[in-house]
Amino acid sequence: MVVNSSSPFGAQTRTRVLLALTLLGDSYPRELSRVLQLPLSGVQRALQSLERDGLVAGRSAGRTRLFRLEPRYFAFEALQAFLRRLTEPESELRTRVTTLRRRPRRTRKPL
Amino acid sequence: MTLTERSTLGTVVAVVSAALRRHRVPAVLTGGACASLYTDGRYMSADMDFILIGPATQAGLDAALGSIGFGRRGDRYVHARTRFYVEFPRGPIAIGGDYRVAPVERRTRFGRFLLLSPTDACRDRLAAFYHWNDRQSLEVAVAIARRHRLRMDGIRRWSVAERSADRFAEFLQELRRAGTRRARRGRALGARAGLRS
Repeated sequence: MVVNSSSPFGAQTRTRVLLALTLLGDSYPRELSRVLQLPLSGVQRALQSLERDGLVAGRSAGRTRLFRLEPRYFAFEALQAFLRRLTEPESELRTRVTTLRRRPRRTRKPL
Repeated sequence: MTLTERSTLGTVVAVVSAALRRHRVPAVLTGGACASLYTDGRYMSADMDFILIGPATQAGLDAALGSIGFGRRGDRYVHARTRFYVEFPRGPIAIGGDYRVAPVERRTRFGRFLLLSPTDACRDRLAAFYHWNDRQSLEVAVAIARRHRLRMDGIRRWSVAERSADRFAEFLQELRRAGTRRARRGRALGARAGLRS
């Protein structure tokens, strides 16, 4: 857990989840937990509280809950701009995000 | 007023609103319940999202809703006799980026309550269509627009601000199509009635 960075959204995990969602666009709890190197239960709790606050929203895709910043949040654009700025010094997080393969891969194509 | 399995959404909303008012908790009905009321139940929603527009405590909410038989389960309030449940999403009342939303008052024989206007309920559904590509919400927005006189120019301006002018055009197209379908159905019914007479 990074403890030397600011946490303007309350608990560190909440802020980290928002930063990761800003870089990823959409994501699910397990992926966020891997990228942030935080326990899954903490990430799930953070997502729940951010959802209650209306900052993120989730939808079901099969058995997975996919989350993203809530585009209907009244201050969405300002929030997104702020979070983008906050991600700038997060070089380690940015590196971890870039190691994720997110582009499509044809079904059954060998790795 | 005792709530039963047969209580309609409108009745439950009025009873809940009255209880909140008695406990000095000012709140506005938003979301799917407004859409349901404005489409005469064509779109059904079991959740009643009230946004608080004044100070309230958890204890105050528990007392208000407890007085009419609702109990808190997690973030929501449920009632043994009705499937409709109450939630209090965080405010402010806003539709997309627009937070200058003026609620309207609706009067029923069980009391009065504040809710989104038909125009704002329509915009609320359109926001889900614009930002989540939710086509069910588009259908509901069309259903609201078919039943109520809306401030279309305001919706158009807001859609542009939401960077969704193309989606607004799609909404208008669906609205016209729904009108044509209805007119065709009306003519067909008229023709059939003519044959019978």
